[in-house]
Amino acid sequence: MIGLFHLLTVSAFLFAVGIYAVLAKKNAILMLIGIEFMINAGVLNLVAFGRYDRAFYGGQTFALFAIVLAAAAVAVALAIILNVYKHYKSIDPDDVTDLRD
Amino acid sequence: MDSLNQIAAVVWATLVVLLAPLFAFILSAALGKRMRSGWLATVAMVISLIAAIFVFSQIWNNEPIHQQIQWFQIGNHPFAVGLILNNLSVVLLVLVCAIALPVFIYSRVYMKGDPGIHRYWMYLSLFCFAMLGLVVADGLLLLYMCWELVGFASYLLIGFWFTKEAAIKANKKAFLINRIGDLGFLIGIAILYTQFQTLDIITLFGEQGLVKQAPPTVLLTWAGIAFFLGAMAKSAQFPFHVWLPDAMEGPTSVSSLIHAATMVAAGVFMLVRISPLFDAQVLFFIAGIGAFTAFMAATIAVTQQDLKKILAFSTISQLGFMMVAIGLGQYGVAIFHLVTHAFFKCLLFLSAGAVIHEMSHLKVQHRLNMDPQDIRNMGGLRKFMPWTFRLTAVAALALAGLPLTAGYLSKDAILIYAFEWSEWQSGVWKIIPISLLISSALTAFYIARLVFKVFFGKFRLNRTFRKQFHLHEAPKGMRYPMVFLAIGSLYFLYSYNPLVFEDAWLLRGLATTTSLQRVNIYHTVIPAAVNGLSIIFIYVAWRWYGRRKYPIRSLSGPWYRFSEAQWYGHHVYGTIVKGTLGLAKILYAFDRKVVDGFVNSMGGLISALGNIARWLDCYIVDALINGLGNLSFKIGGILRGPRKGKVQYYMLSMFLVLLVVLLIGLQFF
Amino acid sequence: MSWLSILIFLPLLAAIMVLLLPASQRALYKYIAAAACLVQLVLSLYLYIGFNDTLPGVNTIEGYQFVEQVPWIRLHLGSLGSLEVDYFIGVDGFSILLLLLTALVMLLAVIASWKMEQRLKGFFSLLLLLNTAVMGVFVALDFFLFYVFYEVMLLPLYFLIGIWGGPRREYAAIKFFLYTLFGSVFMLLVMVGLYFSVINPLTGNHTFNLLCMMNPANYVPGAVFSPSGHYEWFGLSARLLGFIVLFVAFAIKVPVVPLHTWLPDAHVEAPTPVSIILAGILLKVGGYGIIRICYSIFPDIAITSAWWLGLIGVVSILYGAFNALAQQDLKRLVAYSSVSHMGFVLLGIASLTPEGLSGAVFQMISHGFLSAMLFFLVGVLYDRVHDRMIYNFRGLAMLMPKYTAFVAIAFFASLGLPGFSAFIAEAFTIIGAFNSQGVNGLIPRWMAICGSLGILLSAAYFLWTLQRMFFGHTRLKGGEQWQVQLTDLNLRETIALAPMVLLALLFGLMPSLTFDKINASVLNLIEWVNNVHQ
Repeated sequence: MIGLFHLLTVSAFLFAVGIYAVLAKKNAILMLIGIEFMINAGVLNLVAFGRYDRAFYGGQTFALFAIVLAAAAVAVALAIILNVYKHYKSIDPDDVTDLRD
Repeated sequence: MDSLNQIAAVVWATLVVLLAPLFAFILSAALGKRMRSGWLATVAMVISLIAAIFVFSQIWNNEPIHQQIQWFQIGNHPFAVGLILNNLSVVLLVLVCAIALPVFIYSRVYMKGDPGIHRYWMYLSLFCFAMLGLVVADGLLLLYMCWELVGFASYLLIGFWFTKEAAIKANKKAFLINRIGDLGFLIGIAILYTQFQTLDIITLFGEQGLVKQAPPTVLLTWAGIAFFLGAMAKSAQFPFHVWLPDAMEGPTSVSSLIHAATMVAAGVFMLVRISPLFDAQVLFFIAGIGAFTAFMAATIAVTQQDLKKILAFSTISQLGFMMVAIGLGQYGVAIFHLVTHAFFKCLLFLSAGAVIHEMSHLKVQHRLNMDPQDIRNMGGLRKFMPWTFRLTAVAALALAGLPLTAGYLSKDAILIYAFEWSEWQSGVWKIIPISLLISSALTAFYIARLVFKVFFGKFRLNRTFRKQFHLHEAPKGMRYPMVFLAIGSLYFLYSYNPLVFEDAWLLRGLATTTSLQRVNIYHTVIPAAVNGLSIIFIYVAWRWYGRRKYPIRSLSGPWYRFSEAQWYGHHVYGTIVKGTLGLAKILYAFDRKVVDGFVNSMGGLISALGNIARWLDCYIVDALINGLGNLSFKIGGILRGPRKGKVQYYMLSMFLVLLVVLLIGLQFF
Repeated sequence: MSWLSILIFLPLLAAIMVLLLPASQRALYKYIAAAACLVQLVLSLYLYIGFNDTLPGVNTIEGYQFVEQVPWIRLHLGSLGSLEVDYFIGVDGFSILLLLLTALVMLLAVIASWKMEQRLKGFFSLLLLLNTAVMGVFVALDFFLFYVFYEVMLLPLYFLIGIWGGPRREYAAIKFFLYTLFGSVFMLLVMVGLYFSVINPLTGNHTFNLLCMMNPANYVPGAVFSPSGHYEWFGLSARLLGFIVLFVAFAIKVPVVPLHTWLPDAHVEAPTPVSIILAGILLKVGGYGIIRICYSIFPDIAITSAWWLGLIGVVSILYGAFNALAQQDLKRLVAYSSVSHMGFVLLGIASLTPEGLSGAVFQMISHGFLSAMLFFLVGVLYDRVHDRMIYNFRGLAMLMPKYTAFVAIAFFASLGLPGFSAFIAEAFTIIGAFNSQGVNGLIPRWMAICGSLGILLSAAYFLWTLQRMFFGHTRLKGGEQWQVQLTDLNLRETIALAPMVLLALLFGLMPSLTFDKINASVLNLIEWVNNVHQ
């Protein structure tokens, strides 16, 4: 029987992978993928804890909500990356330094 | 039924007496300049006189009538408005009308052509209405209202020529001094109300009145003093006499009315009306003030040069006589003297008016620079104005109190009673009859001085201006009223016996108290002494002024100056007025500087507090927030070191910080 | 909707009409305002005539007339019970005449502003709003409602003085505002304290109902203002403190010395119609408040502090009169004379005798007409030459005889000439104050005597002014130009003044018109206060 422990372990692993991608990769797309990993780790947690709310299924509902939001966020992020590429001819975050003071 | 009808008729007639002048007043006020001739006021006065005589004939020595209706109610105490008709009020009713009517007729000629004449008739009617109302009022409140209204009307009349500086100062003075008396009256009313809870005169002072039954208390003595204070101001007793000489600034016809029947008589009348109130102390006080005033005014009158001023002080002096009569408890005698005095004093003023009228005519005609009222400019007028002279002489004799005149009867009555009264008092009080005797002699002297200076000798202006002037006799319109008054100044209207005052019908009708034991000797000795003295003084005056054998060379002796300056009464008042104004100025400065200054400084304090708060806000509170912001900015700058703008480095540090925070947080659970 | 509510809210309706009309119709504003005031006058006359003289008012709802009681605010506050505020209005002897006076003075104020030219919309709508507020204050029987109207009164006045006033208008307006607010803010505290001390016996809730506050039986035992509670703050009993706070709030309005200094400034800077309203009505709110609130709710304290109230009254009389004597500005003189005359109101109330209390109420009414008339007359002069310094004028009687006649009448009426209303008022206040020592021993006799000196002084300053400004030979500061500008009263001004003179005469000659209406209430109040005290 897969219990809470298993789910949380997977979620932690996913999160760790995501954070590595975000911190280490020099490609914005890959960083985005890392973010998605982390979001999904969070969603998994929501689902996992959702079993304790049999009355309203709050965890599940909120997971769905988060997934939709993540999708929208990805679309926006991709559009930004596209524009960054158009402007800088690069998607390495280290090259984008115009906002630094 | 008949008697009821009769009462109704009398009451209606009284209302007619009152309302005719009121109606004239209202109509004159409404019509304004269209009422110049004064026929309305005069006709109203004729109606009043006729009605008053009718009322007199019905009431005199008959049952008094007291009619009232409720006026208003405060709490549980009703206040009524109504009439009292008894011997006292009907005598005054007739007197006021009988004095006013000649004055009205006289004024039609005297005031002719004055630009403000429509106001004159209006005020005069109001004046008479107020006095008539005062005479018949049945409650102290109503009496007080009429009392003040009399003062108000006199204010208007004294200041009739309102462009004249002296006149408007005089009327203000008259009103204010009367106000002082009014306060006394008001406080008297308050005391009586406190004691008896009513202001009805009959209930208070009637035969079975509350005052007679009440045990004597200090408060009632004070009430008596307070009412007397009112009478002192209205009847120009020392120290409130100063307004009366100044009141001469009004038209002479007005003066005659004020001095005879309407204004100054009110004080004496009021005291008689409320006489049961007075206990022995108050009576002593009244007698003392009266005697002193009589003496003081007589000494002042001796040296005055202004024709009207002499007469004014003479009035004050005579009012002092009446006050003494009241102080003796001889209320009837006081009223008797009031009546006779009204006639001859009014006559004196009207003749003075005739003289002044001619003199100012002369002044205007020849453009002379002189005072038309100064007796030093007159002399020898007997030849130009024989009728005026004769009438003046009658009045002067009456004032001096020589036999065959009305003044003889009333004045001797006062003197005789004064001596009889002093028999029963301690020796000190002898001073009252003696001072009266001296005043009476002085009276004879000053009035003789006036007559001799004005009517005898040669016309002095002729010499001053080296010209032959001609004066004219007063016109008929002025002369006839004077003749009427002269008849009133003779004895036969009052008594068939010219020598014994006790036969006077007026006195008999009014006699209220005869507690004094008759001392027969006085009834022969006193008149003889008084008249003897008077004749001597008149002779002296004749020597000095008629024959111009004036014995005193310099006019600058201290006594002379003291008398001429009217005992420096004005100076005292001037000081009081200055003090009051000074106090007002100080208080106003206090108000501005201290009270308002405190408020403003509170306002200033609060706005200063506001400024401090703003400073704190700007330099402390806000500086703290900004400083914190700056501090973190600086620290951030130091910490991020060379890796500027590296997003992933920022993220890593955020993650690590988060981890640390979480780990620290875990320690607490 | 009772007649009383119509009386209150009619001007508000008119104000809204004025606001809605476009500026091109600005000539209509004054007609709307005048019409509203005229209808109010007729209405208040109707109420006056329909008023039943025998009902005693003061502390029982049965004693009031034209009563309207509608629940207004009902908030459930959980454990605190429920907030109970009623729209509760009614009239008794103390208020009926003030309604009549208000309607009349408001009409006069509108007539006085006939020539107003700038910012008409604002002016007339504020004037009408003020009218509503004042009417409301005089009929409110719920403390909360009273307070609302009381504060609403403040706002239009602030703007009326601050916008349409004279050169120092901002100073005067802010001074007036702060003074009054100072009083009313503390009043709010006492009001809340009373609210929590009193229970409405009918509903069991705390209440703002004034009538409930009057009855000691309704107090929660041990509450702050409970008569049996004996709470103390700063060493003073809470009830005494509450009384003092309320008294100060109303005393500022009256005004009494030393809380009076807003009055001369506000009067001098305010435009004529506002001066008329200020002197004619607003000062009476103070006297009314003292009777209706201070005396009715704190009768025990009223008795024990009567001596001080009387003293303050006497000081106001004399101090105001002396200050008036020192003035050189005619309007300031009239303002200080108001301080002096309103001192009689306080003296009369403090005496707590039927004569004194009736005199005080009568004085409020009488001073209402007379001061309105005086300020109107000052305004007439100021309209013509924009100057009112006494020394700049002399001998006006030759130039303006009709005006002089009216001024003389107003002056003499104010200084208490018999036949005019002020005489009855002042005489009975003095008599009542004098009587007090014998009846209830509240006020010593010397206070009455000192108060009567005020009558003498009022004669002094009025007559002196009359002499300086109106009599003598004509001499003006502005020379020829002023001679032309100083025209006599026109028809509009005469029409405005004549009714005031007639009313002052009518009330002076037939005091029963007032006394009959207030008698029952006066007796009831006195009996009530004395009963509670024992």
